[in-house]
Amino acid sequence: MIGYIFKRLGLAAIITVLAVTLLFLIIHMIPGDPITTMLGPRATPELRAALEERMGLDKPLPIQIVLFFTNMLRGDLGTDVFSGRAVTAIVFGQLPYTLALIFVSITWAAILGITLGCYSAVNRNSLGDRLAGILSVSVIAVPAFVVSLYSLLLFAVKLKWFPAIGAGEPGNLPDQFWHLVLPSLAIGLSWVGYIARLVRASMLEVLGEGHIRTARAFGLPKSWITYKYALRLAILPTVTVIGVGMGFLLSAAVFTEIVFSRPGLGKLVIDSITTRNYPVVMGSVLFSTLIFVASTTLADIINALLDPRTRKGS
Amino acid sequence: MKKNNIEWTKTGIDRRHFLKGASTVALSTAAVGMPQFANAAGNVLKTRSYADIRSMDPAFSQGVVDEEIQGAIYNKLIQFKPGSEWGWQLDAAASIEQVDDTHINFALRDDMGFTNGFGAMTAEDVKYSFERIIDEKLESTNKPDMSALDHVEVTGERTGTIVLKNAFQPLWSITLPYITGNIISKKAFEQAGGKIETKPVASSGPYMHKSWEPKQKTTLVPNPDWKGEAAAFDEIQIFHIDDEKAAEIAYEAGQLDFTRVSLGSVERLKANLPANSTLAEFPSLFYVWVGMNLDNPKLKNIKLRQAIQAAIDVPSIMAASYFGAAEPSTGIIAPGLSGHRDQSLTGIEANLEKAKKLMAESGESNVSLKISVLNKSVNVTTAQIIQANLAAIGVTVEVDLHEGATFWGLGEDKTLELVLNRYSMTPDPYYATSWFITEQAGVWNWERFANAEFDKIHKDAQSESDLVKRDAMYQRAQDLMEESGAYKFITHEATPNVYRNTIVPALRPDGMPLYRYFKKD
Repeated sequence: MIGYIFKRLGLAAIITVLAVTLLFLIIHMIPGDPITTMLGPRATPELRAALEERMGLDKPLPIQIVLFFTNMLRGDLGTDVFSGRAVTAIVFGQLPYTLALIFVSITWAAILGITLGCYSAVNRNSLGDRLAGILSVSVIAVPAFVVSLYSLLLFAVKLKWFPAIGAGEPGNLPDQFWHLVLPSLAIGLSWVGYIARLVRASMLEVLGEGHIRTARAFGLPKSWITYKYALRLAILPTVTVIGVGMGFLLSAAVFTEIVFSRPGLGKLVIDSITTRNYPVVMGSVLFSTLIFVASTTLADIINALLDPRTRKGS
Repeated sequence: MKKNNIEWTKTGIDRRHFLKGASTVALSTAAVGMPQFANAAGNVLKTRSYADIRSMDPAFSQGVVDEEIQGAIYNKLIQFKPGSEWGWQLDAAASIEQVDDTHINFALRDDMGFTNGFGAMTAEDVKYSFERIIDEKLESTNKPDMSALDHVEVTGERTGTIVLKNAFQPLWSITLPYITGNIISKKAFEQAGGKIETKPVASSGPYMHKSWEPKQKTTLVPNPDWKGEAAAFDEIQIFHIDDEKAAEIAYEAGQLDFTRVSLGSVERLKANLPANSTLAEFPSLFYVWVGMNLDNPKLKNIKLRQAIQAAIDVPSIMAASYFGAAEPSTGIIAPGLSGHRDQSLTGIEANLEKAKKLMAESGESNVSLKISVLNKSVNVTTAQIIQANLAAIGVTVEVDLHEGATFWGLGEDKTLELVLNRYSMTPDPYYATSWFITEQAGVWNWERFANAEFDKIHKDAQSESDLVKRDAMYQRAQDLMEESGAYKFITHEATPNVYRNTIVPALRPDGMPLYRYFKKD
């Protein structure tokens, strides 16, 4: 198992380097003058030249890439050209908001989705199963931005139960959690349906297998068979999907952060790309990539832990 | 300037509506047991800026967003006067007097000081604050606004003389009452290494900086050392919300007390204003125009350019793009400012007959042009109307959309054809003409308009102290722009604000907030 973990971590490192290099090239290839955007109309040619030098834009692109990785290994991602703050400080300031949003969204979606999926599989073709099916497909079909806007209008504007903007007072955990309710509802809702359908399909497949029939023949309790034996195997594809789904969750977080005026990595990426604030773009892109790679790697490792056949296969 | 902001007010609900509303609220709350988010209340002002802050150093702050905060925490010799007419009032200065074209004597109030133990405000602080902006080594992006300064002479602990290199009229409308006029503590800044980033090291205004949560909000609290009229609020929370629609929702959800709203929402808000709210519309200083690149061979023919000027129907743009909430403009200088023209040379409504005649005289046929546009819905709609207007005279227009960073680099593109553009403005005409001088061609003068008379007017009018003469000079400058056929002026837009009736906002004539003067009703 340790060998498998090391192999996965090595692969994750290679993916990260390749992805970040590719993104670095793409960002520098798109048109747009960062100096004009940053300094505005009042900048003198001398000031423009000084900033260009400070951002390293006067150097050839391959040198810029090498410098980026060299500095990155030293923990230095550069400074934000607007505020002069360290990019690492900026990214670490925003990262917890996005991680909290993603974690809360996927957690409630997984709990509800797995419960619904199990119920549907165990009570196949019942009225409850059919209702759960309709509900699941319905919520999958509704995009996060629609849920965001309607939940805002209903729960924030009309009923005033939840706040419409912000992430809550720093240090006030209940307030921060309260500010997470609507954004996590917007992001997590479609995942409830998706996970429910996935778990149901996997459960039905596992429940039809020989060892489950044997367990039934031995007279083991139904709940024991369902949750101890069937769910453990049926959950594997769900873990993989959630891991890969982190990328989609990050994309959904961008829109949600804008609609709810929440701070976060997604909003940071958008703002910095719009202003061609290269150091912040690269810093935030690096961390987004790390989140994605880490979650898929973690999903692989969990899969390997739950099902030894997976690590043998690799 | 005449008062031309318009207000719609919805007062508190009457008894019948109160009972209906109260019973609904009571029922829904009782039924579900959920807490209600009340409107921002108590002694906290919750307001919104359209972007996050960039710098709390007056030498590096970029525009209104930073200045909204700096204006509340720093003092200036003079401040903009809230109201419907542009003007200034004394702030840190007990007196200020222009003794000749290049000398301005000032005396500071004796009750001004800095927080964090940095002591009383002195003339040395004024000297330091102003001279550092023109210091080459500091590389201040706001140097042009202080460009006329030679030095500040300290004549006493609290008295001094601002010495200019040449007469400079914008001193009273931009330099002193706006960003560069903020007085900072010499001691505090020197201790901080000569410049600061986003955390102020010492405040002197009625409010002081409490915290900044990046991408979220800035919080100001009253300055305990402030000796002037007491700050009206225990806290001012300025939420940095880029999206106007998000800000409107936050207002309607009761989380903001004051916000600018989108022009597209004005009609809806007039018809259905949230309770205890006022919607106030202010004329803006921004200017929007269609530019034509004079260096592009496709647009060399002045008759073609004049035909384009005549074919564009500004009222249609006002109705469709600005939802009737903005007025057509006559130039780059807004009403209320010196140099504003009552009428443009090419008119506001399309004159198709004239446009077709000019097209025929131009001898051009099968003209196909590209209009470059920043990708925002208002611009896209405007470009589509222009597309339809020009189709009527046989000119085919392709709309070329750009995102922000790409769009703002288009000035260097010699192949640029038509462009729909929008520049911000400060309350002095010199700021507007500065982008269209020959030296700016290919930088911010995207039309590559080059006119010696225009350049001379821009240079001379800066120092013209005869206001009538100055007014005429700037009017002539705009005539020259229009006569070149390179410009069709569209609008100055508008600034609609919505706020609770529990507060009394203090606003500049263009609707921008001056938080230090906000009061409770």
